[in-house]
Amino acid sequence: MSLAIDLLIATGLVVLAWQALVGGSLFRGIVMFIVFGLTMALAWARLGSPDLAMAEAAIGAGVTGALLMIAYWRLRALGANRPAPRSPLRARVALGVGLLSAVLVAMIGLAAVGAIGPGGEAGQALAEALPATGLGNPITGVLVIFRNLDTLLEVAVLLAAYVASRAVMGDDKAALPLPPAQDAPLVGALVAVLAPLAVLVAIYLLKAGSQLPGGAFQAGAVLAAGGVLLMLAGRLHPAPLCGVGLRIALVAGTVVFSGVGLIMLALGQPLLAIPGTWAVYLIETAMMISIGATLVLLFAGSAGLTGTPRR
Amino acid sequence: MIAEALAGLVFLPLLAACAVAVVPKRAVGVFVWSGLLPLPALLLPLTEAVWREGLVRLAVAGFASPLGIEWRVDALALVVLWLNALIAVFVGLYAARDYPPGSARGGRFWALWLLLTSAMNALLLSADLFNLFVTLELVTLAAIGLLVIDGKPAALRAAMRYLLLALLGSLFYLLGVALIYGQAGTLDLYQAGERLGPGLLPVTALVLMTMGLLVKSAIFPLHGWLPAAHGNAPGPVSAVLSAMVVKVSVYLIWRLWLWLAADWQPAWALPLLGLLGAGAILYGSVLAFLQVRLKMMVAYSTVAQLGYLMLLFPLLGPLGYSAASYHLLSHGLAKAAMFLAVSNILAVMGTDRLDRLAGADRRLPLDTLTLALAGVSILGLPPSGGFVSKWLMLQAAWAIDGWLWLAVILAGGLLAAAYLFRPLAVLCARPATAQAADDGSPPSATGLHWSGVVALLLALGALAAGLAPAPVLALLERGLPPGILP
Repeated sequence: MSLAIDLLIATGLVVLAWQALVGGSLFRGIVMFIVFGLTMALAWARLGSPDLAMAEAAIGAGVTGALLMIAYWRLRALGANRPAPRSPLRARVALGVGLLSAVLVAMIGLAAVGAIGPGGEAGQALAEALPATGLGNPITGVLVIFRNLDTLLEVAVLLAAYVASRAVMGDDKAALPLPPAQDAPLVGALVAVLAPLAVLVAIYLLKAGSQLPGGAFQAGAVLAAGGVLLMLAGRLHPAPLCGVGLRIALVAGTVVFSGVGLIMLALGQPLLAIPGTWAVYLIETAMMISIGATLVLLFAGSAGLTGTPRR
Repeated sequence: MIAEALAGLVFLPLLAACAVAVVPKRAVGVFVWSGLLPLPALLLPLTEAVWREGLVRLAVAGFASPLGIEWRVDALALVVLWLNALIAVFVGLYAARDYPPGSARGGRFWALWLLLTSAMNALLLSADLFNLFVTLELVTLAAIGLLVIDGKPAALRAAMRYLLLALLGSLFYLLGVALIYGQAGTLDLYQAGERLGPGLLPVTALVLMTMGLLVKSAIFPLHGWLPAAHGNAPGPVSAVLSAMVVKVSVYLIWRLWLWLAADWQPAWALPLLGLLGAGAILYGSVLAFLQVRLKMMVAYSTVAQLGYLMLLFPLLGPLGYSAASYHLLSHGLAKAAMFLAVSNILAVMGTDRLDRLAGADRRLPLDTLTLALAGVSILGLPPSGGFVSKWLMLQAAWAIDGWLWLAVILAGGLLAAAYLFRPLAVLCARPATAQAADDGSPPSATGLHWSGVVALLLALGALAAGLAPAPVLALLERGLPPGILP
């Protein structure tokens, strides 16, 4: 039975990936990509990686799907929805690249047969060191304590992505178009339930992340989903300027994380040492806020956000 | 003391970038300079420690590998850290003219500039294969943001191409890291090297990572994205892209082949990597000669000069290693100076088409001088850093009877002379048209702006590297890669 499910997921992944690439229209391709992401999440869950499954569903399918959809909507709104011209040369090049990739994948597969898999030296060291931290979730242990420099730099990557997106937009104060908000009575009722729920789920994921699957990245993605919902329902609007509160939210993750690490250095501890579980929560909360704010702003395509639209 | 210095190299510019993003416009300048100017001072204690001990190590967060991430600074890392600090500060001083820290565009520029500086320092410190991937991503994203800072359509197109290819390169690198981790059970570059041997899997991983990094460092024939990106970026950004951003991925290729795979590098691949370098030198030089725009010529010159860095592989040995490392340093200084001078010429003359630049030397004496002095180092005339590295490289080729490499190095020098004398001849020519003729007016004030002086200082740095190479070469010799015996 479980083999049948695995086979179904594996076959589905290949078919969905193919559909996402060759689908007749851009829209179809995006939908297939989102379904691919959700199926991938199922695959991670089957492989015993619930953390990866949640990240894949929230970020790979959810946030990325929303960004792709809004980009598609804007391309259409700006009248730039021409399909790329098809030429026999392109097809031939694509065929060549595809064959090369197939050879490469086969080579990697052949080579990977000899791999011993995880649970090697680093995995054993992690299993020995984790109990001393008071954390039950090894992933959170690696992300916030043992290899926290990676995580800190990842949050800086998000900051760089936001500033780079502002650089692409330039000094143009006009925000990118958003789909008109639906003002049906049901939308209001839905937002009234879902928006507080998003905040609640985000905080739960953050809290649970120390012992169970979860953590700042998943929580930030859920928070961002709430923001996107508010924007689509017409409760949040793009603004031409980034208010100081939002600016602090954007850098909070990087600043709090580095701040804790540098204070520990000043106290004679190793650089980026984490003094306790409370510091893990503090850092993860700041990261969640930064991740959520950055993702919502990337979706809005604007410098800032406001509750009241400019007329 | 050392831990503080190491932390400062990464966290000072990182926190300054965060501050720049938050504080009001009038306060941006303070944070920009407090994030950049202390960097050389932080390198002083580190230099002393590396000179004394050969290798400085720090377990970040107090967890040694394989559990945690380690920073390791040896002679090579130190030399490139110095280059990064000098470029960040000097090119930064130049950029303060085009992007005043108090302006809206300036805020974005400096946030990205500081993030880029911090990311490159973090990359040079790291000895962890996955951490290196993260730093590489941060370098790429910040560089792309800087590339499009002016919103020019040509730059946007070039940036999109750069972004897609750089992401492809990252994926290849990451795939290799996963394979290595699966086999070795550790991500530490040095430990993984010891745990692995010459099998199909490690070599496949090495080849995948190298392919990814070759795309990122624009080594021929994967250089396609570079000329458009470096030729259309704003002046200071071109300077840092050519001097540092492509170099750090070549630096990583060296780390992989000479440190990680020191005991099991496939010997058959070394001449192949060298042939890529030879192709880059010849193709890049010829294309540089054929350009009609000065800035595109300088960009193709980068394609050619990157080739010399790949000649390290066929010329493996203490001489070849010193030569290639010294080339990385001197080319970084000279090429940054050259891009800044060209940027000034472009700004004052309104064009960088070679056929419209006749007589520009009267209006831009300083920048013409900078271009000439930087050219001396690029084509390897004495006394310059370029001469030292090419001389050592010729010796290395001579010592192993590598006539092919000898011929390529000499041909590269001749071709560089051809493509560099052409713009100098144009700049110093008397204009033919009556309107632009010599009217006896004094050189314009813009030619003597302090930003021109900064460019000249960088070019003089490249020359000075040729006058006193001994300390740097001695330092490099104390930190030879594991497989290379003095």
